[in-house]
Amino acid sequence: MKPAPFDYLAAKSISEAVEALAASGGDGKIIAGGQSLMPMINFRLVKPTILVDINRIGGLDRIEKHDDRLRIGATVRHHMTATDVLVFEHLPILQDAMHHVAHLTVRNRGTFCGSVCHADPAAEMPMMTLLLNGTITAWSVRGERQIAASDFFLGSLVNALEPDEFVTSIEIDTLKPDTGWGFEEFSRRQGDFALACAATTLRIEDGVARSVRFALMGVGETPLRLAAIEEIIDGKTVSESLLDQVSEALNDFLQPNTDLHASADYRRHLAGALARRALRDAWKRADLRKGKTDD
Amino acid sequence: MSHNDHSVELRPKLVGERVKRTEDPRFLTGVGRYVDDMSPAGMLHVALRRSDQPHARIIGIDVGEAFSVPGVVAIYDASDLDKDVKPAIPTSRMPGYYATPIWPLARGKVRYVGEPVVAIVAESRYAAEDALEHINIEYEPLPFAIRQVDAVKDDAPLLHEEAGTNTIIRREFKRGDVDTAFENAPVTVKGRFRMTRKTAVAMENRSYLAEWDQRKQSLTLHTSSGSPGIIRDVLSGCLDLPGTRLRVIAPDVGGSFGAKGSLYSEEMLVCILARKLARPVKYVSDRLEDLSGTSQAFDELIEAELAVTQDGTLIGLRADVIGDVGAYSIYPWTAALETVQVVSFLPGPYRMEHYRGRIRGVLTPKPPTGPYRGVGRPSSTFAMERLIEMAARKIGMDPVEFRRRNLVRAEEFPYRTASGIIWDKSAFQECLQGACDFVDYPNLVRERDAARKAGRWVGIGLASYAELTGIGSRISVAPGMPINTGTETSRIEIDATGAITAAFGLSSHGQGLETTLAQVIVDELGCKLEDIEVKHGDSSLVPMSSGTYASRSAVLGGGAATLAARVVKAKVLRAAAYLMEQSIEDLDIYDGIIASRNSNQTLTLKEVASAVYTQMGRIPRDQREDLTASETYDPYLGTACSSTHLTMVEVDTETYGVRILRYVVAEDCGKIINPMIVDGQVHGAVAQGIGAALLEEIVHDDQGQVVTASLADYLVPVATSVPNIGIVHIEADLPNNVGGFRGMGEGGTIGAPAAVANAVSDALSHLGVSVETLPVTPERIFQMLRDTNTPRSANST
Ligand SMILES: Cc1cc2nc3c(=O)[nH]c(=O)nc-3n(C[C@H](O)[C@H](O)[C@H](O)COP(=O)(O)OP(=O)(O)OC[C@H]3O[C@@H](n4cnc5c(N)ncnc54)[C@H](O)[C@@H]3O)c2cc1C
Repeated sequence: MKPAPFDYLAAKSISEAVEALAASGGDGKIIAGGQSLMPMINFRLVKPTILVDINRIGGLDRIEKHDDRLRIGATVRHHMTATDVLVFEHLPILQDAMHHVAHLTVRNRGTFCGSVCHADPAAEMPMMTLLLNGTITAWSVRGERQIAASDFFLGSLVNALEPDEFVTSIEIDTLKPDTGWGFEEFSRRQGDFALACAATTLRIEDGVARSVRFALMGVGETPLRLAAIEEIIDGKTVSESLLDQVSEALNDFLQPNTDLHASADYRRHLAGALARRALRDAWKRADLRKGKTDD
Repeated sequence: MSHNDHSVELRPKLVGERVKRTEDPRFLTGVGRYVDDMSPAGMLHVALRRSDQPHARIIGIDVGEAFSVPGVVAIYDASDLDKDVKPAIPTSRMPGYYATPIWPLARGKVRYVGEPVVAIVAESRYAAEDALEHINIEYEPLPFAIRQVDAVKDDAPLLHEEAGTNTIIRREFKRGDVDTAFENAPVTVKGRFRMTRKTAVAMENRSYLAEWDQRKQSLTLHTSSGSPGIIRDVLSGCLDLPGTRLRVIAPDVGGSFGAKGSLYSEEMLVCILARKLARPVKYVSDRLEDLSGTSQAFDELIEAELAVTQDGTLIGLRADVIGDVGAYSIYPWTAALETVQVVSFLPGPYRMEHYRGRIRGVLTPKPPTGPYRGVGRPSSTFAMERLIEMAARKIGMDPVEFRRRNLVRAEEFPYRTASGIIWDKSAFQECLQGACDFVDYPNLVRERDAARKAGRWVGIGLASYAELTGIGSRISVAPGMPINTGTETSRIEIDATGAITAAFGLSSHGQGLETTLAQVIVDELGCKLEDIEVKHGDSSLVPMSSGTYASRSAVLGGGAATLAARVVKAKVLRAAAYLMEQSIEDLDIYDGIIASRNSNQTLTLKEVASAVYTQMGRIPRDQREDLTASETYDPYLGTACSSTHLTMVEVDTETYGVRILRYVVAEDCGKIINPMIVDGQVHGAVAQGIGAALLEEIVHDDQGQVVTASLADYLVPVATSVPNIGIVHIEADLPNNVGGFRGMGEGGTIGAPAAVANAVSDALSHLGVSVETLPVTPERIFQMLRDTNTPRSANST
């Protein structure tokens, strides 16, 4: 379990990093926390010719709030996201989600942006980026471009980046003070990748749910943002019969994988159960937070 | 306390104290020294090309450009090594058995995915792995039966043609007339229990380093083994080297759980290569190799049936077991070790007249099974304890009461079980009671019932078992095996500086033996703890040792240490009596000081040692004796260690995740040398048992590929999987051996799978399903519930 030979560059700036990537002709890889990449190169599943280390590039280790969006830099570690004050105040659902991510040692190294780039269909941060209308900022020798989260996840471990692009930050929505949220995940052990997970946010207006966001992970090739489910809930009271409707709808169109840990049928069952729990929580929280505004 | 105080019995003893482990400072500060920490000058590294075929003939091996990789020194396949080694043969006197020869590399055929085929030796492991990519092996795939139910059939493809069968183990135990007993039995229950394949996952992977001394023509093997003595003895034959030119050392070893107690191909390989190349050669298994090449565990299918009376008395038990032993019979334990113990321990700690237990051990294209903490008994206890609770449920009796009626009682010891095991005497009943008292069982039942009323799926499960530990020469640990598992030797020497060396052939790889054996010696010899250096894990220390396994080291090592310490103490006192001009009966030694009843005169151990060794003529020549002793202990029989585990679990009604709410172990391990270490052993073993119950499973797919090839797929318990564990120590009548110790290293692994399976079954009882396969994963619960729901709803329409 030793990697094939590779070159290594500790980039000092964004431009140095993107130039090295361009020069490698598509065979170079960025290394951020290394928590997904290292196992893959040790198993020789990938054999990059050069690793471009971005950890020494200044200014990327910040979480900042711009209007009602949070911007998360490329070297922000999971531990920071999980304990950040802005996240605590404005994105409690993300804080919930981060508690399910791996173990302390992994959280001290792994990065939010690295996780999104890795695009594991059962990882929390890709799903949260999708749920929260994320925008991915990517740099290359050609300059900067923005990619919407909805266009970013193409398949299991496949993203929309060109091989020479470097994600410098990701922006996601914060939650309005009157927004309720629910995050429900099930995994075999604490910190494992999810067998299934549901995340949702909604507000209550005139006794019905509005601004509904709903996403799932672990039950498809990519994280799923499900507009069809959002439509079912929008404008309704979250009641047990509505939840029945949601799990029936999920049952009809989810096509999860069967793997060692869970069959497709069990995953479908789990998705329904977790969706119900998450929606109940979101409704309850929205009810408690009703009428709250930024002041 | 003055030295004239002769209330010797009141002096504090170390046995029984929570003495901090003397090995911990080096482990905790990162200065432990494992095989991988050693890098002698000129050392070479080995990487192995392993089979990707479950069963195939090797047609050709092409090394391609492998030699062009910088640093590659040599490449070998089996044919290159034929003249360098004789195979190890795991012989047994068992009728019908076939001993599969063990070679360093696959010869002619491969028999499991992961079997070593080609060895590349290079200046670094990186270079060796780079070169591996150039190796091309052409195989002719052969038919195979990957599941034991298929491999056992008469027309199944044979893995070892020479054996003429895949079924290399057959054994039956019986007593009474079991079939008639069943015909007349008022109540019977039966199940088809499956304990799936596990592996030990020691934190340190297997690691070997061989050094050839060209000058002395001798070999030293540093190995992460639990049994360096066994490895020395077998390699002596394989390599044709006498013990004087072959030394096997197990330095610090990071856990074994049984899996490092057998001979491995890679262990032979590094020795051969070091001798061939006259350079040190190291092989360190990585985790991928560990999960596909280290011996595995269990893998039994147990069809068992229990007959009881309406008032809850056991009548008889019959069982048919197929054990999947993998591709080879492991050395020295053989494939009978795990399999035969399933049926010999199946009747458990219960009184029962009629029994028949049959086992067939079959070869399949998987890594060999071998010793794993608990050996056989985790499986047998799982099946038996499930049957016990099924029977209790059927006759409407509380499972605690049911056990109370059938566990062997104090006055019935020694009790001979239906399979012939003798339980000397142990606190069977007291452990059951102890566990129940600890949790306030009647109250716990009320708690469970209240939770159920509220719609939660909560259940209580128990497991009672006994195991045979500290086995002496009367019986072999594995039936018919060619090695001596019945004795251990301790050599104690006080040197000229007054320091004490206590040497054992045993190895300590997590058990804390450096501390506990020293505690025993302190009490026997009267010295200070810090004056003792316990040496272990080195074949040159004593003439013969089979190592640490089967819950034997405290009993056999502690016994040998006691005997040797007594001899040394007598020598010390004889010398002191001369020096102090006192009668020997008036002397005693405590805390390293020899004092006399009749005077204020004292001598330290150091002074006595100096007088004996250094001060020429101080003791007359004909009275002078070295302060040394070497004693061997053979407990002859074994002693029972018994326990009851009790747990309460909750199954999530929607996700089917299992959470352990309460856990208690009540156990009798005889005299406790160090309660802290015993607690640690119980905690660790219960964690491992919880792994077997809920998480761990080695899976081979129908193509014979292992699909649990990383720790993301082979799930071991993590901190959050393990609850607080209450421990009740019951020191009942001490066993009749030197020291009164019972072995206790394995117990937790034996009880936990059964207790958890029973608790989950109890939690799901209202749904008409129960646990027959471990681990009981959320997926399995989902499938069980779906399978029972489908026909039920069909009936109702
Ligand atoms: C034991 C264990 C448990 C884990 N459990 C979980 C879990 O429960 N949930 C979870 O979400 N994750 C889990 N992970 C994964 C962990 O979160 C990783 O850290 C994360 O997926 C990748 O982030 P990284 O910074 O380590 O990326 P790396 O490993 O450094 O990189 C991953 C991939 O992304 C690319 N990449 C990284 N950064 C950038 C960038 N800025 N621009 C472009 N490409 C980039 C790399 O080239 C590589 O292909 C676990 C990991 C381990 C080892």
